[in-house]
Amino acid sequence: MSAPDALLEVRGLGKTFQERRGWPVPKTVAVRAIDSVSFDVARGEALGIVGESGCGKSTVARACLRLVAPDAGSVRFDGVDVTAASSSALRVLRRRMQIVFQDPASALDPRQRIADAIGEPIRVHGIARGSAVEAAVVRLLDEVGLPAAAARRYPHEFSGGQRQRIGIARALALGPDLVFADEPVSALDVSVQAQILVLLDQLRARRHLAFVFISHDLGVVRHFCQRVAVMYLGRLVEEGPVPQIFEAPLHPYTRLLKASSPIPDPERAVAQQLQEGEPPSPVNPPSGCHFHPRCPHAMAHCSSVVPPLVEVAPGRRVACHLYPAAAPTGVV
Amino acid sequence: MSVATARSEARADDAAESPALVVEGLTTSIRIERHWFDAVRDVSFDVHRRETLALVGESGCGKSLTALSVMGLLPAGVGRVTRGRIVVDGVEMTGASDAQVQAMRGDRIGMVFQEPMTSLNPVLPVGYQIAESLVEHRGMGNREARLRALELMELVRIPAAAERLDAYPHQFSGGMRQRVMIAIALACAPKVLIADEPTTALDVTIQAQVLALLADLQRREGLAVLLITHNLGVVASVADRVMVMYGGDVVETAPVDEFFRRPTHPYSEALLAAMPRVDRSSDSLAPIPGQVPGLPELPSGCRFQSRCALRVARCAERPPLAALADAPTHGVRCWVRAPETP
Repeated sequence: MSAPDALLEVRGLGKTFQERRGWPVPKTVAVRAIDSVSFDVARGEALGIVGESGCGKSTVARACLRLVAPDAGSVRFDGVDVTAASSSALRVLRRRMQIVFQDPASALDPRQRIADAIGEPIRVHGIARGSAVEAAVVRLLDEVGLPAAAARRYPHEFSGGQRQRIGIARALALGPDLVFADEPVSALDVSVQAQILVLLDQLRARRHLAFVFISHDLGVVRHFCQRVAVMYLGRLVEEGPVPQIFEAPLHPYTRLLKASSPIPDPERAVAQQLQEGEPPSPVNPPSGCHFHPRCPHAMAHCSSVVPPLVEVAPGRRVACHLYPAAAPTGVV
Repeated sequence: MSVATARSEARADDAAESPALVVEGLTTSIRIERHWFDAVRDVSFDVHRRETLALVGESGCGKSLTALSVMGLLPAGVGRVTRGRIVVDGVEMTGASDAQVQAMRGDRIGMVFQEPMTSLNPVLPVGYQIAESLVEHRGMGNREARLRALELMELVRIPAAAERLDAYPHQFSGGMRQRVMIAIALACAPKVLIADEPTTALDVTIQAQVLALLADLQRREGLAVLLITHNLGVVASVADRVMVMYGGDVVETAPVDEFFRRPTHPYSEALLAAMPRVDRSSDSLAPIPGQVPGLPELPSGCRFQSRCALRVARCAERPPLAALADAPTHGVRCWVRAPETP
């Protein structure tokens, strides 16, 4: 990995949440949300992060932006250490790294007009003042396919798809180089989802934007991303270029995910195994390889030895005892 | 032979019996402020034993309202069935009293909803909730109902069922909660199961398990299943027949193989073209322009005309659901695509 033109470099990122659980006497339990996650994102590239609920994919985005403080590892953005940045340095960094959330209805203030929702970051960061802010808002609205009149209206007057366009316009307001998109189309109907994906495709090309695109939908990731990282219970289990991962997934979990994703073709019904594999709780993950209790290829040492994430082919990494490293390289 | 053909042949014997669920000319109206709008227009279908009919469409197309109408669960004062007949297992539901409908619901017809956490009572043990309908509908004693609840939990493959009979819903994962819901729906051995987005809130690997469980139970219990979903991938995996709805109208209906081989209504076709697929790289997606109009703004003729690329003058008039000339079981509601019918 470690491409010379990497915009975002994440190394050994970790985050453990302390949670109070139980009744009547609550106990503090440690939930390891992300565990030694490393990846790069190049300029203008879309990296997909896929995995099921609780795998830590949203926490990765939040930790990279320091919306939650990571407790291990480092994040470098364009050569600058994000994890160690002072609050003023962080302010500057955040102009260039933005986030779009799944549910724009809850990410927008219901009492704030669209002009203010989009204009606020422009004013706060001192990019424009007075009427120049309005002009910038209108330009942004136009860029995401909304009329100028939208600026005077409130979030509830828009449909889900339009609200997501507003969320995107706000993320673009500061001219970022990298956008974290956390399930940006998951709450939308298929017809509207395609509109937003096409818009994001255009923005990526026109602005040379990089994306960390978080989704549970493999079809959406296959369409939008160039590379994909698969997470399971806080760890990265496989990473590589989209065509290879989708055509020939290596990790047994990636294969299960792909086989379980429904395809609109009755000749290829989803693999309906009556296997009882339930994703284990992140509070108490299985030892060794977290996937071993559900894995059809589990071997004796899978329950005791954590498989390292190793490069098995150029640009392809997998963490599984079935695949020995291609050759010893300087991979992190 | 395809999977779907195998599925439909497996139920060929059952087609001779009268269908477990018949819906004829169902029209359901919804009140918005002071006006009533038809949110479901003249919908007809039947579902046989061991058969799965999928009702597909996007938000607001009327698919869930159709299910609620069949269950007699429309919110009073806001929704009402204005026309049509519903017959469940040979019993006419139309014009039945509330008490009669209630006696049917949970007994001959079971329902599974999208979000099990909001359908289950958080302060009652799951075993109690499964046993409840047996006490209510079958007059079982508590002890007997509890034993049957345990059998049902084993039937839906909840591991360590005996130990979890007295556990509460929050102690279960999403997939296990949905299994509890299925156990409740099947408690009285209904003939018809209505599943409204049963796997939408679940992760894909758990979705695959729940779909497999439903298919297995359907075979064993001979259920007629009405599956409501927005996911065409799920439809292709489990349905025998498909009905696509848009703006309260059924716009296309066909056996599942036939539907995916040649989706014919412009909306069905557009929906498939807008869907990114996991099994092939899609460089260009074709989004459907605009959005689903709100109920008061829906055009009166063909509901899809405002977003349709094939629109002609005649679309101001409502097209009939007409069978294609070469496929009598494939119905399409479109003047352009199904023109040769009166």
